[in-house]
Formats: sequence, C-alpha cells, structure tokens
Amino acid sequence: MDLFSGLLHGFSVALTPMNLLFGFSGAVIGTIIGILPGLGPLGTMALLLSLTYGFDPTAGMILFAGIYFGAMYGGSTTSILLNIPGEAASVITVIEGYQMARRGRAGAALAVAAVGSFVAGTISLIGLSFLAPTLAKAALRFGPPEYFAVALVGLVIMSRLTGGSLIKSLTMIALGLALGTVGMETVAGYMRYTFKQPLLAQGIDFLPVAMGLFGISEVLVTAEEPVGKMQLQKVRFRELWPTLMEWKRSLGPMIRGSFIGFFVGLVPGPSPVISTMVSYSMESKLDKRGEFGKGAIEGVAGPEAANNASVGAAYVPLMALGIPFTPAMAVVMAVLIIHGINPGPLLMTEKPDLFWGVIASMYIGNFMLLIFNLPLVGVFASIIRTPLYLLMPIVLLLCLVGVYSVNNSMLDIWLMIGFGLLGYLMRKLKYDLAPLILALVLGPMMERSFREAMMISRGDLSVFLNRPISGTIILFGALVLLVPLVIGWIRPRIGRKG
Amino acid sequence: MKLGSMAFAGLILAVGLVYEGMALYMPRGSLAQPGPGFFPVVIGVFLIVTAVGCVLQETLAGKRDKAQTAPPLSAESGDTHDRRSVHKTFQLLVLMIGYALALKPIGFLISIFLFLVVAIRIFGYRRWLPTLAMTAVIAGLSYIAFILWLKVPLPLGILDEVFG
Repeated sequence: MDLFSGLLHGFSVALTPMNLLFGFSGAVIGTIIGILPGLGPLGTMALLLSLTYGFDPTAGMILFAGIYFGAMYGGSTTSILLNIPGEAASVITVIEGYQMARRGRAGAALAVAAVGSFVAGTISLIGLSFLAPTLAKAALRFGPPEYFAVALVGLVIMSRLTGGSLIKSLTMIALGLALGTVGMETVAGYMRYTFKQPLLAQGIDFLPVAMGLFGISEVLVTAEEPVGKMQLQKVRFRELWPTLMEWKRSLGPMIRGSFIGFFVGLVPGPSPVISTMVSYSMESKLDKRGEFGKGAIEGVAGPEAANNASVGAAYVPLMALGIPFTPAMAVVMAVLIIHGINPGPLLMTEKPDLFWGVIASMYIGNFMLLIFNLPLVGVFASIIRTPLYLLMPIVLLLCLVGVYSVNNSMLDIWLMIGFGLLGYLMRKLKYDLAPLILALVLGPMMERSFREAMMISRGDLSVFLNRPISGTIILFGALVLLVPLVIGWIRPRIGRKG
Repeated sequence: MKLGSMAFAGLILAVGLVYEGMALYMPRGSLAQPGPGFFPVVIGVFLIVTAVGCVLQETLAGKRDKAQTAPPLSAESGDTHDRRSVHKTFQLLVLMIGYALALKPIGFLISIFLFLVVAIRIFGYRRWLPTLAMTAVIAGLSYIAFILWLKVPLPLGILDEVFG
C-alpha cells in the first residue's frame, strides 16, 4: 500500500460520525483539563486510559489524540492569559504570550497558537507518514553523549534566550541545575539535599516551581500596583482576531517552528521543551522590530508550532519501532496494547488498516481541536475582562488547588509558595524566570547522560566531539554562542569604517 | 534597589557555598565512574562563579549609579506607595501560608471560602454581599470540578461527614 492510498484508507477507517464525536470529545476534555493547572496531558490520559477498554482501537486513539493536543493547547491558554505555564513546554509561550495579553492582544495570541498548532500538527503528520521508518532508525543512533550534547546546547540557547543580563541568566541556569539534583539519584539511590525529608526523595517537581515562579509571583507583583492601574488591558471584541499583518508575521515562524519541532521531537527526552526554546531563539534572532520581550507574535507562533510538531514527531519512534520516547507516548502505547496491538516495524506491513487509521485519527484529533478552539478564542480571551480583584484570587486558588491535585502533597503547596516569593524577588531584581525552570527540567537528563557517557567511554571527554551526531550538535551550540559575539565585535568596526 | 540586588546576589552565593559544601561530602567517584557527588560539585562551582559574577556586576552598577545620579530631593510619596504595596504582597503571602496550614484541619471548602474572601478584600474590593456571593459560587464550582469531576482527594476536614 503506497502512502496516498494508505492515508486514504486510513481516513476511510477513521472518518465515521462516531469517531468524529470521539475526536471532538477528546479535544473538549483535553482543552478543559489543560486550562485547569495541575493535571497535564499525561495525567489526563492516564486517568482516562481505562475508558478506552470499551472502544475499538481507532476510536480510542482518536479520543487520546484529541485529549493530548487539547491539553497542550489548554496549557498554552493559561500561559497566555494568566502567566501560568501548566507544563514545561508552555514556559516559552509565557514570555511573549502574556505580554501580548497585557497589551490587549490575548485573542490574537490564542488564535495564532491554535492555528500554529494545527499547521504544525499537519506538517508533523505528513513527516510521520513519509519518514517514520527512516527517522526512527536515525533516532535510535542517539546514545548518552548525544543526549548530553542536546541538553548542553539547550542550556547554551537558554542563556541567550531573552536578551537580558547574561550573568544573571547563567546564575539562574546554575540554580535550576542545582534544584534538579535534589532527591534520590537514579544510579546508586544516593539521597542528595533531602535533609532527611522522605517527601524530597522524589526530587523537586516541575509544577510547584513553575506555578510559584510564574503564577504566584505574577499575582504578588500585580497586587503592588495602585488600585487604579491594577487592570490588564481589556480586549475589545473587534480586536479578538489577529490582523492581516499579524497573520503574515506568524506564517514564517509557524512553518519554521513546525520543522524545528518535528526534527527536535525525534530526540528522546524533553524534546517539546527544547524545540520551543530553539524556535524562540531563532525567531528572536530574526526579529527586526525589536518587539521580543514586549509581546512579539512571532514568539508565540513559532514555539507553539514547535511544541505541537514535536508531539507529532514523538509518534514516529512509537509507530515505527514500538518505543515510546516520552511518558505520554507510553500511555498512548498502552491504549494500543490494551487492544492487543503491538506497535513496531511490522505494524505498517502487517496491519496497514491500523497504522494508517491511527495516523488519520491523529489528524482528525488535531482538526477537531481547531474546530473547537477557534470559535472559543473570544470566550477564553474574555477571561481577561474579569476584574482583577476577582481574577487574581481565582488564579491563586487555581494554583493552590492545582498543585496539590498532582501528588496530593502539602510539600508541593509549600514549595510553590516559596518559589512564588523567589519569583517575586527575581522579577523585582530583573532576573529571567525561564532559564531556571528549563534548567530544572533538563538537568536530570543532562546528569544521567553525562555519567553514562563517561562510563561507556571510560572517562574520555572527547567522546562528545568524536561521535558525528553529538559533535555536530556541540558545534551548533558553539556557533549559537559565538556568532552573536563575533557579530557584536565586527559590526561597530565596520560601522566606523563606513 | 541596588542594596536589594546585592543582597539577593549574596544570598545566591551563600546558597552556592552551602550547596558546594554539601556536595563535597558526597562520593564523587572518578571521571570514568562518576559518583552521585560528581555533578553537584561541578554545578556548585558553576553556581558560585556565576553568583560572584552577579555580585561584581551589582557592585560596579552601584558605583556607576552613584557617580552619575544626584540624590532625589523628595521621595516621600513614592516611599509611602512602596510601603503600602509591599504590605499587600506580605498580606497575600501570609494568606497563602494560612491556607496551607488550615487546609487539613478545616478542610478544602471552608479554607478556600475564607481564602477568597480575604484575597478579594486585599485586592481592594470592599462590598461584603457581592464578595460573599462570588466566593460561594467559586467555592461550589471548585468542589464540582476538583472533587466530584477530577476526583482529587482534597481534605474535607470538619465537613468530611457531610460531603464524604
């Protein structure tokens, strides 16, 4: 079965009124849960796993694709409107998205995020259809040195992410990496920085840190404004949609973000986070308006597309090799296994109905998300019309309840309050919040892969440069770091001569 | 603010020193066989170096500012506003700590009700009846969303027998 007849066949399997209803329900459930802080796509899918027992596998996959993409979009909604990233991949969206919301462009940011996600979903699914087997084999060539190189370059990109003070960004990265070492280390089970508190053995979770640094600190800073000024810019209904100029500005970042997300998404680990960082970094370098940091629409369109494309790409190793590279993909794999289907190299040839049906079902889930969310952009954006004396206490409440709901742990509430205070001080003293949180996410992977790489190479540090993939990645990181410095050195000299 | 910046950078430096001190007690292993303390030692050094960088940056910026700017003639009104606004931040922090302490003994519903009433008043809304009505609606919706729908086992405290 060739590609097009395969896809057509897939759609003929998936496109039934019942499946469309499942896709729509998934998008609704996913979006609503994504908006509530705490329970992310992984938790939602794990909770609803048992629901799929009664459905046929295609229906289950359509439901889950809707939930997954929906929860991702829901997380972006709270990032843009309330400055609360529900998950690591939404941290980058906060930077420009929330600034847009403050300027009264929340509707535009939400619409661009929805369309960007759809474009990225489409591109990544085309990539998945064409390249799944080849790319999956390439992804398997990633070993510990490559993972370490990816994490290291991620940190390098992060240090130059928002254009603030380099030394302050590096300090925040160091602090994030330090926080990532708290808890029981995975190789020998040694307890580090737990102060004999059993609850700290599992480490410091992303969510209390993110909600504290972004959500709580935002409320604390807003509370300081004089009552008259204490208002986000309200959205007028005629301004809900992006202008033609904003669409034009978003198109390039969406397409670039989609490709970045797709290729970065093939790498195991926190690839959605890294892809959003790479996309944001690229768009900020291409920015000629000087709007980055003040609400540039490119900074929403690119990372949102990258995030969604990386989710699509994560299906590549799952479908082609039967290996889930992310925890969410492990749950998706569980849906298939529940129905007696083992994804892997033989799935495409032995069960083409299912292979193409699943790919078509993801496409339907993605499309349903657009259908559901675009008309609701106005509703979501009107959240900002809520008076701040009511909105800010609700944000606090959502943070306090949401953070508890993940592990049912009081420790998470205390951590969130502590990081809220830290975030408040950091904002006042002009430290970037994003590098700390992203370093916390990347740190454990970086340490694990470094230790494994050292054990494999018997302590030979050149292993990171000798292997073609890791060497290329590190070279890329060096260019990211050095090129702006060289340009900064050359430009004034050329200017003086001219 | 420069004093605050210096103090914050100094605090990070102190955290870095304590972190590094604790890391040095962990088994470090060798480069070929890195132990649990290897990575923390490296990160600790990185944290100390960058924090020292921040302290130096703030010191230089402070000296530059002193040389460039004359002291303001009167900063009284700004100071009063700063004090009042910091007071609100402090009140919110105390409120959150109070919520965390009260959650288990008095339960989720009563604590969020009290939390919201006080938070709305801190944010400057003063009318009692609408405040109580809004708070009751939000508390009810939270109960439906988190406890009935998402089945989050939030403590019900003294209301356990009524709703439990």
